[in-house]
Amino acid sequence: MNAAVFENVGKVYRSGLFGSGGVAAVRGVSLAVPAGRVFGLLGPNRAGKTTLVKLLLNLARPTSGALTRLGEPAASRRTLARVGYMHENHAFPKYLSAAEVLAFYGGLSGLPGEVLPARVDALLERVGLADRRDEPISRFSKGMVQRLGLAQAILNEPDLLVLDEPTEGLDLLGRELLREVVNETRAAGRTVLLVSHALPEVAEVCDELAVIVGGRVAYQGDIDALTRQPDGSRRTLELALRGLYTQEVAA
Amino acid sequence: MNLPGIVRTVRWMVRDTVRQSLATKLFWVMLAATAVVTALCLGVRVENDLPPLTSDGDIPAILPATEADKLGRDKVAADGVRVIETDPEKRPRLTLAFGAVVVPIARDRTDAVRHLQVMLAGLLADTVGVLLALLWTAGFLPSFLEPQSATVLLAKPAPRWAILLGKYLGVVGFVFGQAVLFVGCTWAALGLATGVWANSYWLAVPLLVINFGVFYSVSAFLAVCTRSAVAAAFGTFLFWAVCWGMNYAHHRFALLPPDGVTAMSSWLLDVGYWVLPKPLDLSGVFFGAMSADGFAAAVPELRAIQSAGQFHPEASVLTSIGFAAVTLGLAGYELEMTDY
Repeated sequence: MNAAVFENVGKVYRSGLFGSGGVAAVRGVSLAVPAGRVFGLLGPNRAGKTTLVKLLLNLARPTSGALTRLGEPAASRRTLARVGYMHENHAFPKYLSAAEVLAFYGGLSGLPGEVLPARVDALLERVGLADRRDEPISRFSKGMVQRLGLAQAILNEPDLLVLDEPTEGLDLLGRELLREVVNETRAAGRTVLLVSHALPEVAEVCDELAVIVGGRVAYQGDIDALTRQPDGSRRTLELALRGLYTQEVAA
Repeated sequence: MNLPGIVRTVRWMVRDTVRQSLATKLFWVMLAATAVVTALCLGVRVENDLPPLTSDGDIPAILPATEADKLGRDKVAADGVRVIETDPEKRPRLTLAFGAVVVPIARDRTDAVRHLQVMLAGLLADTVGVLLALLWTAGFLPSFLEPQSATVLLAKPAPRWAILLGKYLGVVGFVFGQAVLFVGCTWAALGLATGVWANSYWLAVPLLVINFGVFYSVSAFLAVCTRSAVAAAFGTFLFWAVCWGMNYAHHRFALLPPDGVTAMSSWLLDVGYWVLPKPLDLSGVFFGAMSADGFAAAVPELRAIQSAGQFHPEASVLTSIGFAAVTLGLAGYELEMTDY
């Protein structure tokens, strides 16, 4: 069972008059995100990772190919109720307090009104913002907003948790909290898709990963296979990735 | 998403937009404007006013007091002639701002106050107020549609069109609240100050909301297409001017067709008139509801077309609302098709 499947997916962002020009962000990507695992999505800047996330979450439409999310075509919004999403630079409405932000996004995720207040309180406690629950988030630091973003993403106990550069702005304790959340999600049999440049985090929590380079899948498999060399010795994940990234540059 | 889900989405978005408007200075600025106008209304006095007309549309003969005295006031009164005092102290007048401004009048107390209400609602609120509200609220949608703000929201199961509809209804609801406050406070203040409680004045509330809602749909469409508050604000102003011009030109040409107008250009004018919103007609609806013919001058072309029986207020209002619905539908479609 896969939580997400990309089949020969391509995405061209049109530009210019009447869409005459365009940039191919993703080209013929086929990959499967297995359910119940932590799946890392790595690649250099502008490789197409965020585009794949956007396609998966219905934020953009593929130019070609097909996607399924939690067993249904990604174009159907229904399964989005079972998805949580956090990204690095999200701007929450500054006029809302932390509790109001969670109530708002929880309400739009379809959480029933009788469940929502208790979930909001529990999550604010969990991410260390309970004492700031009624404060406008315009006064929050970036790290606090990231913690709130994490709480927002797990509010609906998602079957698929998508984290796009979640460690940006998080301090040591925030990163520990994030690892806890990821491990708990996996332990509950749910899936995490982690997009990150933070290799230690990826190496620690991911069961499997895909490396995207130049809009194509350069590698999909487990970390062991990626770091193992032909002579049986090991290299660091950083070195293995460097090899993949520079191959593309050379190509 | 099913109907309860859509209703829930719209409700959350309305709540968020009202919260947003309360957090901006806009709410307080509009509230302050209402407070100032209400205070001025409390200072209105009508003095030495004439007796009311005996029947609607009755235009009485008027004589200055000096002439009436020569003929005999009782005889003049028996003939239904109105006498206007020439002594400045005895002349009918409306005083504004607690006596700071004195305006001579030639009408009874009720008509004098209704005239003031027509000016307040028909000109101040419906033109200046609506245009300012369009300017101030033009930034609501573009800031909300910025990718940094919108991506998490648009990754929720709620359809994008329902999110947009909720935002639109939230802004229109905010303006509705402000319109109720403005009309309610000025109605009460004028009532307390003059003893005239003209209930038809409350019809200004739906007029203001419809007028704003129609043009805010254009603002929403431009916001979705451009994500620019400037483009949304000035594009809407320009569109408002075009609609007003089309509305005016249609009535003028319908009454007095200039030489050289071809059947085709006349047909195009008709099509333009019926397709676009009709701000002038909406004012005409309010003038009609206030029975303002006897004391306020509407745009002459509008008055003439009303007299000629070619004014169809229901059709004007319904087609304007229809235009807003179609425009909002296009905005929703555009948002659905936009890549984030």
